[in-house]
Amino acid sequence: MKGKVLFANRFNETDATAEAWMADSEEHSDSPSGQPILASGVWKVFGKRVADAMAMARDKVDQSEILAKSGCVVAVQDATFEVNWGEIFVVMGLSGSGKSTLIRCLSRLVDATAGRIVINGQDLGEMPELELRELRRHTISMVFQNYGLFPHRRVIDNVAFGLEVRGATREDRYQKAEEMIELVGLDGWATNYPEQLSGGMKQRVGLARALAVDPEILLFDEPFSALDPLIRRDMQDELLGLQERLKCTMVFITHDFSEALKLGDRIAIMRSGAIVQVGTPEEIVAHPADDYVRDFTIDVPRHKVLSAGTVMAPFSPDMVLEGEPVAVSARLEAILPRLLTEGRPVPVVDERGRRCGVLEPAVVSRYLWRQ
Amino acid sequence: MTSLTVRSAGWRRPIAYLGGAVLLLGGLIVLLPEGIGAFPPEWDVGLGPAVNEVQQWWISNRRDLGVYLYFFDPLSDSIDWLLRAFENLLLAIPWYVHAAGVGLAFGRWLGTPGGVAAGAGMLYFVALGLWEQSVQTFSLMTVAVALAVAIGVPVGILAARSDWVFRGLRPVLDSMQTLPAFVYLIPVLLFFGVARVPSLIATVIYALPPVIRLTNLGIRQVPTESLEAGLMFGSTSGQLLRKVQLPQAVPSILAGVNQTIMMALSIVVIAAMIGAGGLGQEVLLALRHQEVGRAVEAGMAIVLMAVMLDRFSHSLVGQGRMGGAARTQGLQYRNWWVAGGALAAMAIAGWTLGWTDYPTALQFSYAAPIDGAVDWARDNLYQLGNLPVGTGPFSDFLTTYGTRPMRLYLSEEAWPVVVLFFGFVAWWASGKKLLLGSVVGTVVIGLLGMWTLTMDTLSQTVVAVLMAIVIGLPLGVAASRRDWLERGMRPVLDTLQTIPSFCFLVPVVILFNVGRIPGIIASVLYAIPPVIRLTNLGIRSVDSEIVEASESFGVTRRQKLWKIQLPLAMPTVLAGINQTVMLVLAMVVIAGLVGGAGLGLEAVKGLARSDTGLGFEAGASIVILAMILDRITQGWAARFQPPSSDRG
Repeated sequence: MKGKVLFANRFNETDATAEAWMADSEEHSDSPSGQPILASGVWKVFGKRVADAMAMARDKVDQSEILAKSGCVVAVQDATFEVNWGEIFVVMGLSGSGKSTLIRCLSRLVDATAGRIVINGQDLGEMPELELRELRRHTISMVFQNYGLFPHRRVIDNVAFGLEVRGATREDRYQKAEEMIELVGLDGWATNYPEQLSGGMKQRVGLARALAVDPEILLFDEPFSALDPLIRRDMQDELLGLQERLKCTMVFITHDFSEALKLGDRIAIMRSGAIVQVGTPEEIVAHPADDYVRDFTIDVPRHKVLSAGTVMAPFSPDMVLEGEPVAVSARLEAILPRLLTEGRPVPVVDERGRRCGVLEPAVVSRYLWRQ
Repeated sequence: MTSLTVRSAGWRRPIAYLGGAVLLLGGLIVLLPEGIGAFPPEWDVGLGPAVNEVQQWWISNRRDLGVYLYFFDPLSDSIDWLLRAFENLLLAIPWYVHAAGVGLAFGRWLGTPGGVAAGAGMLYFVALGLWEQSVQTFSLMTVAVALAVAIGVPVGILAARSDWVFRGLRPVLDSMQTLPAFVYLIPVLLFFGVARVPSLIATVIYALPPVIRLTNLGIRQVPTESLEAGLMFGSTSGQLLRKVQLPQAVPSILAGVNQTIMMALSIVVIAAMIGAGGLGQEVLLALRHQEVGRAVEAGMAIVLMAVMLDRFSHSLVGQGRMGGAARTQGLQYRNWWVAGGALAAMAIAGWTLGWTDYPTALQFSYAAPIDGAVDWARDNLYQLGNLPVGTGPFSDFLTTYGTRPMRLYLSEEAWPVVVLFFGFVAWWASGKKLLLGSVVGTVVIGLLGMWTLTMDTLSQTVVAVLMAIVIGLPLGVAASRRDWLERGMRPVLDTLQTIPSFCFLVPVVILFNVGRIPGIIASVLYAIPPVIRLTNLGIRSVDSEIVEASESFGVTRRQKLWKIQLPLAMPTVLAGINQTVMLVLAMVVIAGLVGGAGLGLEAVKGLARSDTGLGFEAGASIVILAMILDRITQGWAARFQPPSSDRG
């Protein structure tokens, strides 16, 4: 139940965030330091003949052909996006689409071949070793797909690792680690070793370890894909709860579209290294950029994602409408029963109560069952 | 795609080619003029005498060389001092304190029965009057292993951190592990002469590869995510090494140390030839004087030491692997202080009362009954009555139908044909590169003046390998089908692999007298475990789904074995055969000590008479032979890898 509530909350906020972002990016178009993460034209090519491979990729040459001709793998091509303060930015794509490489570029675990990544106003590519280390010690943290726990350290020493390498005293780091272990609900497991824990518990340790350094930015590399479906749902809910409290910026990688919809304030969809579409879950479901993206949206329960504002037809003053109006932000889920029983158009009003559109059953059904 | 066709073509190079080659070359011999026989002796380039001259010059001039005065001599002196200090310390402590201490340590790690057995085992060394020798061997080994670890771990770390270093080191380590132990003695002998320090240096070099290899491996095997996690929290490279990589590499490093200990122990007897002393010396002298009983006593002491050290270091590896969870068990630290105090009190009491020696009344020896048994065996088992049964007829049979014809064929027929045959086998197994290598290699052996001896050794090797395969392969297949057989065989194979190669000679000499055959029998015993083990492993690790698929077509057991299991197990089986070939070759050389003839005997002579040149020639020939045989069997094994394995 808790999950559902959060689910709905997410989407109400989404519109506001998206608008704020639009306004923001217009305002700060000349000073892009407004966002915690800015990536422009990022490329990552594995192999030696980088220039050839990039040229071919620009000409839309197929990945396997590029590999055959130049021996290079273009993992990320020309990725440009921004991540806003406090949002969950999901990068979604199938395996091999370059999403894991992209997230590694954001922390320079992998050096980008071309392009610029700016973290908190600092250019990541030009950052000297020492500053990069400081950035990782204080600003960015990461959670890994297979947990990345240190098998030779107890849970508490795993969680305290980040504090240990930046030189915190034993007392301080254990105190903080205890807090984090409690935060993720693992009280009493502090002195166990990772192999004594279940998958879900291991990932809680991974999460606690990442949170222990009080990061501003959290990177998640498919953190829940190794977990059972039920545990995965718990962890997703927990993550949303944590984000509510901590308000840090998160970049979340997944191959699961429904996970992307559930967690993402905005979603970037990747296909063979390139970002195909960036948008709110609703934008993507309502207006998929191409057939590739549409394929993902087919199984989505649209009435839970789409809102009145997206599917309404324009309002013209000569229309005569009866009945109680619904809000722009209302989910179709809530309106559908009425629409189906009454069988006539329903007016839509904006935040100030002005009529701004109308829900036509025919138009709505086209949105809901469009293939 | 292109590589696929090339590979499958190579994969199908039929075994019939080999038969054809034999016939063709046989015919060639008939066609060639009579005069061409063994490699012409006058083509001997005379490397041996030259090496001896260099050594002479070296010995007479080395006192004036700076490297000796300021590097080798001080180094050698300090190692010698360390060795002696350690030895004296161990000897000063009364034997019963040792026994109690070892018993406690084993009890801590292996449980009470292990502790009691180890404590009792310590009595063996004392009761047989081998205490001093045992301590000598043990301290030489401990210092050697400590040095090997002190050198090997940092080198392994370097290799793990730099692909350059690793790529440079790998071929060196590979060839170091193919070389028979005694090959290391020769250059050491050349530069350092006969003494304890040189034998220690040889031991260190011989035992070094596993530590380096497994340190490197352990660090490289740390999961990428673990490294990334370390980096993401801003670890410096030093922090990453100390806090992330090394702790996770510990089990692997300990496994390397275990292997190093076993290797150091296996060279103990051979190192005695250049003055290592200790138990090895004891075995060597006893064998030389034909006192089999005494040799068995000292040999058993080595085996006992090997088993104890193996079990102990193995249990440490296990503890390391289990991580911290197991560390809290067993005795507490406080009890360790108590135990240490008790041991010290025992030692002090012993010193003040003068009870340090083992009471002579309690000494015993089982050498006499063994000597008696040897005589009995020699008189009775050699031939049972007038029947053609017994070890004598058996070894005659092997000689008449196995080693002699092959030796005569290889060493007396036209040498160019033999070279060609070698080249052909190399090409068949691996390709053009190896063809060239083996042709050059065999010609070099001829130029060293070692042609006849090498062919002698080769024929012994081939017979021993064939015997090992004929016995081992069916055993492996049988073990793969019956769990009880596998379980029963495991301790036997473990023991065979733990015993230093040298110790196989003793019982074999009892039964087969001296000569080529006892050497071959010892080689078979020494080298058979890998074939059995890997045949069993290879068949057992065939994907069960594939086996089930074949069963769904209604195969018989025999069809399943020949059509599914053996072909799929072939790479593993051949890896076993490769190991067996290398072990046989190492053993055939050692068999020189019991009259095995061939290169081994020559090398032994070279070492015994300090004829370094001769040892050098024989050693170089063995190295060449070992490398060719290793590459051939490896190439053969590689061709059996299913072609799909390097795609994707």
